[in-house]
Amino acid sequence: MRGEVAIVGYGRTPYSRAKSGERIYTIDEYLAWAADLALEKAGMSKNDFNGQGLAVAHAEAAHTVNWSAAVAELLGISPRILLRGDEGGATAAALLIRAAAMISAGVIDRALVLGADTPLTIPSVAPGLPLSPERTRGLFWDFQGPFGIMGANSQFALVQTRYMHDYEIKPEHLGKIAVTTRYHASLNPGAIYRKPFTMEEYLSSRVLSDPVRLLDCVPMVNGGLAYIVTSAKSAAAITDKPVYLLGCGEVSNYYHNSRTRPDITYTGFTQAAPEAFKMAGIALRDIDVFEPYDDYPMVVLIQLEDYGFCKKGEGAKFVQEHDLRFSGDFPISTDGGQLSGGQPGGAIGGFMPIIEAATQLRGEAGDRQVKNAAIAAVSGFGGMTYARNNRSCATLVLGAEA
Amino acid sequence: MTEPQGKPLPQITDFTRPFWSAAKERKLVVQKCRHCGTLDFLPKPWCIECGHRNLEWVEVRPRGTIYSYTVAYTVMMNYPAWKDDLPVVQCIIDLDDGPRMYGQLTGCSPDKVRIGMPVEAYFEDISDEAAIPKFRPA
Repeated sequence: MRGEVAIVGYGRTPYSRAKSGERIYTIDEYLAWAADLALEKAGMSKNDFNGQGLAVAHAEAAHTVNWSAAVAELLGISPRILLRGDEGGATAAALLIRAAAMISAGVIDRALVLGADTPLTIPSVAPGLPLSPERTRGLFWDFQGPFGIMGANSQFALVQTRYMHDYEIKPEHLGKIAVTTRYHASLNPGAIYRKPFTMEEYLSSRVLSDPVRLLDCVPMVNGGLAYIVTSAKSAAAITDKPVYLLGCGEVSNYYHNSRTRPDITYTGFTQAAPEAFKMAGIALRDIDVFEPYDDYPMVVLIQLEDYGFCKKGEGAKFVQEHDLRFSGDFPISTDGGQLSGGQPGGAIGGFMPIIEAATQLRGEAGDRQVKNAAIAAVSGFGGMTYARNNRSCATLVLGAEA
Repeated sequence: MTEPQGKPLPQITDFTRPFWSAAKERKLVVQKCRHCGTLDFLPKPWCIECGHRNLEWVEVRPRGTIYSYTVAYTVMMNYPAWKDDLPVVQCIIDLDDGPRMYGQLTGCSPDKVRIGMPVEAYFEDISDEAAIPKFRPA
């Protein structure tokens, strides 16, 4: 599958915090808007996807049971294959892998991959928070909500506390990641929070779920994203800047050492990332830009270790020793990431690192362009398990040349 | 269903009722695989080690140690009624008999909580049908 498919277009709608007085768009409008932007970039029409693939990520907002087909109906597309992803923040990467396999097998030549969500406009017991029915019903909620678990902030805080107990790290190390991504957001007109902050401001930001601070937390937004993936052959006819899929790796429900008492400072990237690098035939030093899944700085730091950029427990040292800015020796989250860019629902944020990697590899990143970016590593990271780390990890290696 | 504390209540099913009923009787129970003996929590439809569906609920000692913890100062993605309890100390507890579970720690100042701290479970009624285990320093 290496080099057999390429991203030829992408789109990202403006994000919204759904403030009073704003025009509020529905999830369906965001899907069409994102698709429109991606089609325009690729110079394609929605009718190019009749008989091809349509992929739709799951969402928090209310939708019909056979939703992917309903999206096809709303867009007036008659696809041969519907792909539906439900790996949370790993969905966008997982859908690229699924689409690539379908294209590689000759079932389809191309797929339009869509994700949108409107978490800020879901009726909820806690206004403004995405307490969708899917999150507040069923087994997992029954053994978390009544026990007082306060969602993702607490779940990530539990991982962070354990990490801080096991390894050397100071708040400043996580702060460097947060400050750097905000700096990148200041260079990205599409980011929702663009005013840079200092390390002092980071350290004095309110603690929400100790040790997780306000400036460690991903802000929810409404919005939509899309990308188009085609066979390499078609890609060459569509654009002179195809972004090839060189490698991929994926694992869901990874356990480290034990199923009942795993080490929660490890993620499935210890398995998925080496798979992707092997398939791509690259070494870590070949990566020009890293777009991690970055809803919390701790998640980024753990990825640095689990990808193998440094040993387990040495993430803080790595962060300290490297310049993480787009102009530095180890650029990460060059669009401002989800931390400052905003997360359009727990399932859709995973489109952002893919689209930013494509933007960088096509040389379209403007003020935040990484010089001579030819190879990017991209993460998808989805869901939190009960009392462990996350549910789904996917790594992509993307390249400007096949 | 009434919500006396304005906090979320579990939707009790035949599958999970043994846990809630036992807690009501001040007993902590988890599933044990009759095939391989694995003890696990939260409730699963089969054994996550060997895949056998022949699981039984067994009582475990209500004691454990803190594997990790966080102190929540805000209610996020939970019912606003938790506000009255803030700050809420939430833990991952390694039970002495094996499995791991979420639990709220009470009776301990947030700055005194430590990983490895021994804790014991007590039970708090949340409805006519259910109680939940909470933990305090042992």
